Amino acid sequence: MMREITLSKAVNEAIAEEMRRDDTVFLLGEDVAEAGTPFKILSGLVEEFGTERIIDTPIAEPGFMGIAVGAAMTGSRPIVDLMFGDFLFLVMDQLCNQAAKTHYMSGGKLNVPLVLRTNMGATRRSAAQHSQSLHALVAHIPGLKVAMPSSAYEAKGLMKTAIRDNNPVVIFEDKLMYQDKAEVPEEEYLIPFGVANIKREGSDITLIGTSSMVQVAEKAAEILAGEGISAEVIDPRTIVPLDEDTLLKSVRKTSRAIVIDEGHQNYGVTAEIASRLTEKAFYHLDAPVVRMGAMDVPIPFSPALEDITVPTPQGVADMARKLCSGTMIHAA
Amino acid sequence: MPALGMAQDTGLIVSWLKQTGDAVKSGEALMEVETDKAVMEVESPADGFLTDVRAEAGQNVPVGQVIAIINDTANTSALSAPPAAEKPATVEQAPEGGSVIMPALGMAQDTGLIVAWHKSPGESVSVDDVLFEVETDKATMEVAAGHDGYIAALLAEAGQEVPVGDIVAVISKAKPDAPIRQAASLAPAAKPAPKELGPSPVPDAPKPDLNVPAMRTDAQPNGRILASPKARRLALEQGLDLSRLAEIGHPPPYHVSDLETLRTLPTPAAQTAASTQERRITARVPTSSFAEFLSWSRAEVNGDGPVPSHLMAAFASGSLRVANDLNRPIRITIEKFSGRTQQVVDADRFDASIQPEDQDDTPDLILRDMTCSAITSLGLGPSPVPVLSLVTDREAYEITLDFGIDQLSNQAAIALITGFADRLSDPTRQIL
Repeated sequence: MMREITLSKAVNEAIAEEMRRDDTVFLLGEDVAEAGTPFKILSGLVEEFGTERIIDTPIAEPGFMGIAVGAAMTGSRPIVDLMFGDFLFLVMDQLCNQAAKTHYMSGGKLNVPLVLRTNMGATRRSAAQHSQSLHALVAHIPGLKVAMPSSAYEAKGLMKTAIRDNNPVVIFEDKLMYQDKAEVPEEEYLIPFGVANIKREGSDITLIGTSSMVQVAEKAAEILAGEGISAEVIDPRTIVPLDEDTLLKSVRKTSRAIVIDEGHQNYGVTAEIASRLTEKAFYHLDAPVVRMGAMDVPIPFSPALEDITVPTPQGVADMARKLCSGTMIHAA
Repeated sequence: MPALGMAQDTGLIVSWLKQTGDAVKSGEALMEVETDKAVMEVESPADGFLTDVRAEAGQNVPVGQVIAIINDTANTSALSAPPAAEKPATVEQAPEGGSVIMPALGMAQDTGLIVAWHKSPGESVSVDDVLFEVETDKATMEVAAGHDGYIAALLAEAGQEVPVGDIVAVISKAKPDAPIRQAASLAPAAKPAPKELGPSPVPDAPKPDLNVPAMRTDAQPNGRILASPKARRLALEQGLDLSRLAEIGHPPPYHVSDLETLRTLPTPAAQTAASTQERRITARVPTSSFAEFLSWSRAEVNGDGPVPSHLMAAFASGSLRVANDLNRPIRITIEKFSGRTQQVVDADRFDASIQPEDQDDTPDLILRDMTCSAITSLGLGPSPVPVLSLVTDREAYEITLDFGIDQLSNQAAIALITGFADRLSDPTRQIL
């Protein structure tokens, strides 16, 4: 039987393996070395690679992000550790104006092989400034790739691919999944970008989930199976590039789809995917494609409120049931 | 004093960077000006010598006012000469009052083209009234008067291009005796005024009524059919007419599952031919969903699940209730292959009851359940009440509804069999 490891261990292994393979890879960020590492994910790395390749930075996100962009332009492969996804707002210029555009604006003379590792996800009682899922902001910018691992297996395979990519990649890990275990092979593997994973086959409705919402979709599919509704669950794994073909093929088969993502629903990832499905599979749809994202409110601290702010298996199942029974969800 | 911002009336001269008599080049910084937002350097608009400086550092100067002259020579005799070579030729003749300048509407804008005046000389204006429209390289914008009063002078014609900061109108407090209208003399129009604008740009002309014929009001008639894109496509491919579902009152929106109902409808030709009192509708539903539901419910209650025919009676009762909009008790007689009959009252409700055999009454519907037999079709002739028959070939249930037109309307019959078929193919509907 294949071993099971946690998502944090999978990330740690991916980084360690790539650092052994390629000595231009280094990592920098707050508390990543001697201070103990955020979420204990990077433990052991500084002992193996030393403080020259595992670099503790001051609490100055724009500074170390800028350093990493420069290093990437001049031959290194930096991994930036951004302790909370919410801090993305601090590095927007370095990431979106510099890293994303340098290859284009230098006429292809410069590459920025940089990985920005950060996280997302609510229900950790971290309150509004430490609970956001901001991947839609990044996915909006041409020149940035966005990976969203849904398990330890994906976390390792996508991280290794990201480090080897010659372009800036932002990886969003769900804070709540760091201790989730999954089967991860001992031997080396990579997961290519832009290849979705069909987690469960079904015929009545397609549930497309990203990151931890894949689990939500799978649980919803389980509920629906008990009611005779067969749901297909798909994990796009990277939202940029997006494996449109697999999603469209599924929706053409099932005629119905719900897109589930933990970012805010307004102007979000769910809207983008739903829109593409509607444009390209319109004549195969028997019901509107429905978006399910976080409510359009700051993520509350209150546990009772926080839990209902993001999509739940029951909520997804309820919506799927309506779509499959032909209930008009938005009356004309 | 240039207009450096969009809502700027004056500029404070922070310092002069050149002295009187200095040679300056076009683009060279002359002075620093502070507005409400920022301190900016103002560049020389021409090569020459700085002469006739009329404002000192620290002075707040209204936008559009002359503060210095760039001369061909450093000769300060220009000081004594009347400022004839400069712009204010027109301004000098202008009456007293608040002046309106060509505003800077963009960051890199040198001139603005006056598209039209919205007020004429002598007319009263208030501060927020639109005075004129300006076209820049990016857009056409409306400019407000900025003062209350009367139009004492309009100093540029529609169609003229006017440098930013130049005075284009004067608004006086009192009604002017002889309001002035003239073209801007120093800024030759880059684009000639369009002929139609030239002679009479007076904007008093009545605005065209907006009685554009209302569009699309009849493009979406009330009879629009609500159907899913896939249902529409399949109907088109299979030559089915969705409007017939609407005609019989089948509730929209239509989905792929409703096409089944559409298929069971008699063709319009057949309908006219049928003159008998007896009607029949058939439908087919896969057995899998109901079978799954049964095995699930058996598992839920540890083996002893609901009696299938009672569930079917519940479906029939519920469908009939919806189809005929009934609120009274509904009696269904279940006839089985074995010959046993059983009457259930309100099978679709929580207080459903099975009648004792001797208290059977005339039912609302007979449910003939032949699913445990080898029968695959049946036609048993007229009955005093509608008969819903069920047979199966293991893969699918074939549902037949026999009824007389005095027992059920066509519309109710279709709703009944559709409702029953839907519940059988998706048993959770009954619960909902």
